[in-house]
Amino acid sequence: MDVLTKLDILAGAAKFDVSCSSSGVARKNQGGTGNAKLFGICHTWSADGRCISLLKVLLSNDCVYDCCYCVSRRSNNIPRASFTSRELADLTLQFYRRNYIEGLFLSSAVEKSPDHTMEKIIQVLTLLRKEYEFHGYIHVKVIPGADPSLINRAGMLCDRMSVNIEQPTEHSLRLLAPQKSLPILYASMQQLKDQILLYKDDRRHFHRTPRFVPGGQSTQMIVGASQDNDLTILHTTQALYKNFGLKRVYFSAYVPVNQDSNLPALTSVPPLLREHRLYQSDWLLRFYHFKAEELVDANHANLETEIDPKSAWALRHPEYFPLEINRASYEELLRVPGIGTKSAWRIINQRRVVAISADQLKKLGVVFKRAQYFVTCKGIYPGNMPYNPAAIRRLMLPKPSFTQMSLF
Amino acid sequence: MDYLYDGSFDGLLTCIYHHYYNETAAGIYQQEYYQPTLLLSSVAVCTDPTLAKRVYQAIEDKISANALVKVYHVYLSSSPDKEELILNYLRLGFKLGAKVDLYHSHSAVYPVHKLDRKVTAETHRFLGLLRFRDSGNFLYAALSPDHHILTLLADHFADRLAGERWVIHDQKRNLAIVYDGKGHCRDNSLLQFKWYLTNFSYHMQADLPPEESHWQLLWQHYFQRISIESRCNPRLQSHFVPQRYRRHLLEFQIPPLKQ
Repeated sequence: MDVLTKLDILAGAAKFDVSCSSSGVARKNQGGTGNAKLFGICHTWSADGRCISLLKVLLSNDCVYDCCYCVSRRSNNIPRASFTSRELADLTLQFYRRNYIEGLFLSSAVEKSPDHTMEKIIQVLTLLRKEYEFHGYIHVKVIPGADPSLINRAGMLCDRMSVNIEQPTEHSLRLLAPQKSLPILYASMQQLKDQILLYKDDRRHFHRTPRFVPGGQSTQMIVGASQDNDLTILHTTQALYKNFGLKRVYFSAYVPVNQDSNLPALTSVPPLLREHRLYQSDWLLRFYHFKAEELVDANHANLETEIDPKSAWALRHPEYFPLEINRASYEELLRVPGIGTKSAWRIINQRRVVAISADQLKKLGVVFKRAQYFVTCKGIYPGNMPYNPAAIRRLMLPKPSFTQMSLF
Repeated sequence: MDYLYDGSFDGLLTCIYHHYYNETAAGIYQQEYYQPTLLLSSVAVCTDPTLAKRVYQAIEDKISANALVKVYHVYLSSSPDKEELILNYLRLGFKLGAKVDLYHSHSAVYPVHKLDRKVTAETHRFLGLLRFRDSGNFLYAALSPDHHILTLLADHFADRLAGERWVIHDQKRNLAIVYDGKGHCRDNSLLQFKWYLTNFSYHMQADLPPEESHWQLLWQHYFQRISIESRCNPRLQSHFVPQRYRRHLLEFQIPPLKQ
């Protein structure tokens, strides 16, 4: 089988993995090819609008596991292929020097056993890093259940590792992926966390300590394959950030690929809007000092689809608003719909030298159409009506689409 | 008095010098594009590196290093009134010092910040949206950016592809960055990378070495395979990769692949 056919099969099987970020590591070229930038670089965007930063492929799609949601599951009758380590290393390097990609995202189906697969991944990494002297970004998936010593060896060679937990609860994971279980996945995450901390601490004392997974770890959850609501998903997300110090939790709207009684029908549409709202909430958790309990609770177990989570929170808590722009603290400003981390920082900066009026808000990067209802500037409320949450909600809802009236 | 400069950054800074030490400038213009008026006289300023150096140092000391970077970025932008914006910004800057950048919505500061963001953002975009092809002897990449960002891209690729010989060609301005692969130094003692900015008007032949077509084909296949059909969203894609950039992007040169 030639490389082109293999690439077709193995890229097609890897596309459902979400993470493609290449940020979080700064490394100079140490004599060879490649470096890594702290801010990460996207190289192109595919037809679905997702960025292509890393060469995202599976090492092999020949799987012994039988997870319901996965296109490469054992019981599917599809063409199987595996890269040799040299093929994959050549592909990475040639793509990289033509500036097609920022590095490699290497995942794999479980071929024979988790340890066997992890060893093959390490072979590719060693070839790239040692023989080809490649210093670009490498993201590696931890094969669930692989031996801790193998995970450690891979961690010394790559920039980011991720353990996919796929489902927020043990119950739904058991249902959809009978060979996987959360405690085993959490054990790998805990190991990564401990090792990262250990190496970081060592580097403080010993200059020559090598770096271990300098880009941190991330994970991914499939949304819409099981019955779990947003409350469960967001609480799990928050716990993951807190317990394992994750850099990112990715959400992947379930794209139906298999027919199964535990799954949505093949004709169902991926819940893209729900995924979008979850990502918005994820940003609120990481950068806006929100807690999961504030976004969803027993009465609102799912996020509203029509209004973004921050506006929904603001409308449920009218007692905080309207907020005086010239007095509010950074944390308070972050709670205003239409104000982001950068515009909040600009507001803080500018008001040190001059008081801010409503007509300046747009120039500060504030989304005025949302923020106008929740702030006052120098004591003046810029929204064109008295402050009234119910009326604001009506204005913020998407406009209904008009249709021609029927004649009969 | 209108000051006319030769289009170089040093020339622009020399005009700023004369604005303070000779007659006040009504405006600064690039000599090539200047339209004389009846009311104002104009003088062509002779670029003087020592005077420019003094202004350069003054911006760094009296305003901030950040402001200097912003001014340079605005100078690289393709805005028609960039000289006026820089003059206004610096006049306010020399009055207020480093605090000038806190006045985000001030009419002399806001346009400078905005242009600075545009140039920085385009530079960042082209770190990714640049495609080299291997002609056998060297790597060649063509681009037509909105702003003159070549010098901002050079250091990045000189570090990344340190052992390669490459050319990045701005087809809009007929300029290119040329790097000969010799800035590559194992002990990192050489801090300055050896790249040159030169005039350049060269067109690559259409026929490629077979090795190169092989990798191009693989990349085009990969690009098609990695997108999920049921999430297809061309509007979002256009937002990230505007049509005007696609001319030079290999992956947008082919009709869609059959699934």
